[in-house]
Amino acid sequence: MGNKGWSVLFGVTMLACAIGFAVSPLMGWWMPEGVSAHAGAVDGLFYLIYAVTAVAFIITEVILVIFMWRYAKTPDGKPPIAPNAGFPTFLKPFESFLNDHHKIELAWTIVPSIVLLVIVFAQVNAWAEIKYATRNRNDGTKVDSARAQIAVSARQFEWRMRYPSAARFKGWMAEPAATRKDFESFGKIPHFDDVHVVNELHIWKDHPVVVHLTTRDVIHSFNLPNFRVKQDALPGKMIPVWFTPTKVNCKWDESRQRYIDGYDPAGKKEKDKEYTWDIACAELCGWGHYRMIGRVFVHKDQAEFLDWLQKAEAEGTRRN
Amino acid sequence: MNSHAEHATDAHGHAHPELGFIRKYVFSEDHKIIGVQFLFTSIIFLGLGGILALLVRIQLAWPHAEIPFIHNYFPDNGGRMPESFYNMCFTMHASVMIFFVIIPFLTGAFGNFTIPLMIGAGDMAFPKLNMMSYWILWPAFVLISFSFFVDGGAAASGWTAYPTISSVAMPAGQGLASPAAPGSGPGQVLWLLSLLCVGVSSMMGSVNYITTIINMRAPGMTLYRMPMTIWAMFITAILQAFALPVLTVALILQTLDKTIGTTFFLPDGLSFGNWSPEVGGGQPLLWQHLFWFYSHPAVYIMILPSMGMVSDILATFARRPLFGYRAMIYSIAGIAGLGFIVWGHHMFQSGMDPRLGTGFMVATIMIALPSAIKVFNWLGTIYRGNLQFTTPMLFALGFVSLFIIGGLSGIFMAATPVDIYIHDTYFIVAHIHYVLFASSLLGIFGGIYYWFPKMFGKMMNDNVGKAHFFLTFVLCNCTFFPMHMVGLAGLRRRIPDITAGALEAKLLPLNEFMSISALLLGLAQLIFVANFLWSIFFGAKASQNPWKSNTLEWTTGDPVPGHGNFDTVPIVHCGPYEYGEHGDKDNCPQTEKSTTPVAAH
Ligand code: HEM
Ligand SMILES: [Cu+2]
Ligand SMILES: [Cu+2]
Repeated sequence: MGNKGWSVLFGVTMLACAIGFAVSPLMGWWMPEGVSAHAGAVDGLFYLIYAVTAVAFIITEVILVIFMWRYAKTPDGKPPIAPNAGFPTFLKPFESFLNDHHKIELAWTIVPSIVLLVIVFAQVNAWAEIKYATRNRNDGTKVDSARAQIAVSARQFEWRMRYPSAARFKGWMAEPAATRKDFESFGKIPHFDDVHVVNELHIWKDHPVVVHLTTRDVIHSFNLPNFRVKQDALPGKMIPVWFTPTKVNCKWDESRQRYIDGYDPAGKKEKDKEYTWDIACAELCGWGHYRMIGRVFVHKDQAEFLDWLQKAEAEGTRRN
Repeated sequence: MNSHAEHATDAHGHAHPELGFIRKYVFSEDHKIIGVQFLFTSIIFLGLGGILALLVRIQLAWPHAEIPFIHNYFPDNGGRMPESFYNMCFTMHASVMIFFVIIPFLTGAFGNFTIPLMIGAGDMAFPKLNMMSYWILWPAFVLISFSFFVDGGAAASGWTAYPTISSVAMPAGQGLASPAAPGSGPGQVLWLLSLLCVGVSSMMGSVNYITTIINMRAPGMTLYRMPMTIWAMFITAILQAFALPVLTVALILQTLDKTIGTTFFLPDGLSFGNWSPEVGGGQPLLWQHLFWFYSHPAVYIMILPSMGMVSDILATFARRPLFGYRAMIYSIAGIAGLGFIVWGHHMFQSGMDPRLGTGFMVATIMIALPSAIKVFNWLGTIYRGNLQFTTPMLFALGFVSLFIIGGLSGIFMAATPVDIYIHDTYFIVAHIHYVLFASSLLGIFGGIYYWFPKMFGKMMNDNVGKAHFFLTFVLCNCTFFPMHMVGLAGLRRRIPDITAGALEAKLLPLNEFMSISALLLGLAQLIFVANFLWSIFFGAKASQNPWKSNTLEWTTGDPVPGHGNFDTVPIVHCGPYEYGEHGDKDNCPQTEKSTTPVAAH
């Protein structure tokens, strides 16, 4: 391979990486559509960083490849560039700057610092909105802030969900002030009439939900990629997780006599992968970690959710 | 200066009676031999770690297929790989690569070999301690190798060994089997003990490197005349000395939890199947803090020496002074300093207070700055150069090109909200491999090709080396770059069967592509091994300074100096980077008086 050939190899390889990354969204190798209220903030920040890093990548790799090409040792052994050669014409206006190493070093320290600081400040708020208890606390005084509550207990290798009974749930919704104590005790104190379901998380569209997350054995991670939610379940701790679903993915199936997910309300397809939303454990928890997968069912409204809850309750009673 | 001079003369002045084979090549106190010993063992473990990686890749691409060669070991599973075996493979792959390959390569092999030679010393400050630092690794080798054959197999809870899965134990007296996972039984205990030995070895090395660099520099070798390799080794040794005690503590606590029933990492009220531990009161998050307090600095331990070597190689073969020498030193120091306050970025989703996450985020984003400055300086170094595309130079350029990718992906993960989505996906795996394989390991290869003549007095074959580089560079991008995409598509790390999840199953074709590339990448390394072994015996004889380099190791009398290194104590007159126009030659060894003021900037 000739000396200049190496710059071609570098250039082609890096170009292939860049093109590969650029076309991935078209190939489906990309983030699935976000279906929670905060997904926009997460994805927006992702694209901001994508833009910044793409520029940095292109500038540095292009310079590297150009230098490798331009300053490759020549076959006749003469230096590739005369020691006192000037700058190419398009760089002439910056000549004095480019000759002053001190200035260059200052520039390439200050400019990236500013860009990095922008990235720092751009994200502080989104993170706080998603994870800080102070921004997400539910005081139970207003109906529209009363949340759906679900206690999720992880274990090797399934998700056990605990819902309030339909009657208790209706009470919270109707009289938030009077039921406040009971409402707030739900996460910590199980009730005799709680409804237990395995691997199915039922919520309804546009209503905030808080998940009280625990584990009874090892660390698991409550990972809802479509919702941009991820939180480790930590042994010995109960951790709250907040989010608000913004899309519906389930309906009542007459023939099977149960609610099914993977359903696109706008489309015609019966089982749509894009509307199958996993709760895929994201922290290594043992041999069955890969298949510790639950499903999220987003109902179209509170009434439908209640209907599901009543049916689940009845089924639970029947079984007992 | 005077005492330095005396010391160096002294080291050399010792009469060296002919040592027997054992003292000369096995229990040697000569830093060069010890360095080569580290080199050989690291290469062997690179092979083991590589085989484990290929098993992982095979399972990922063909999750329901019989595994070639070893299917007989899985009769109960129809020849397919059991999930626990897969967990063991990736756990041991990472543990071996980090603790038995990259760290011993960089601080063990190169630290030992280069430090005394490049500062003009006769040997390390504490030669016996140096010998110990190698031989204490052998218990580690034995324990880790033996752990594959114990009940339940080797450790399988990830190289991060998070409690409780790693640490929970049956009550004392009921054996070591774990209620949480088969690999967390005796295999985990051996893993812990083995890492303890590695830690002791690294600590001995660090003490030695720091002392040697501070005390034993040749006359005239001021701190600001030290080559970047030495600066990097110096700062790495300091990092290691401060961070390692914390890992040691964590390992001891987990060992106690596993063996005598303490509960440092085990909280109240857990149950495993039908069995519940009776006592608790511990805190699983404590392990993560201790572990990452060491392991984040450790990722810099795994790259700073490579950066140093790459800087020297670039300057040598660009025939240009290193651009921004001081800025390079300050940015390494900056990386090392900041490196101590960013560990929490591995724990954003762990249940740690999210406000603490914000703090760690700020420090983490800012650590990208010194990394960026280093890249700019490397580009500045080759600017207007006279680039000689030797094999070491190609690996150094490859390092620069691919470190850019690894550094940039770090920014995504440092952004807390984005990390919610990509944490524990293949995006992280892509990042790890761009910084550790595509950067550290390429730097290591560069270093081997570069110092081979000094180590063995022979040249490695350059054309074969270039073939090795070509294949490695292309195939490592084919193997690791698509991991960014599958990670963004939601592929979780550490899963043996990607067809279980709704988002993941469709990524199988891309996984196959990566696995085939990985297999070829593994094969391409055989070219290196062949070239390495062949050249030791049959390589062309090396001259004293084959690369026309400036640093002191190339001024020893023989190509491979004897114990004591220098015939006469070298006197240093100038910095290491005076390349370019010097009258009729284009370099100026550090032992000569500078002729032209090229280093004016
Ligand atoms: C620009 C500089 C860098 C930044 C901003 C950065 C940031 C990060 C962050 C935030 C994580 C955690 C991601 C997660 O688990 O969600 C991470 C993981 C990691 N980084 Fe970096 N990083 C940088 C450079 C490096 C370098 C130079 C190395 C090593 C040589 C390295 C090695 C690793 C490793 C091994 C992990 C994964 C550990 C694991 O979970 O197994 N990083 N990095
Ligand atoms: Cu899991
Ligand atoms: Cu880190």
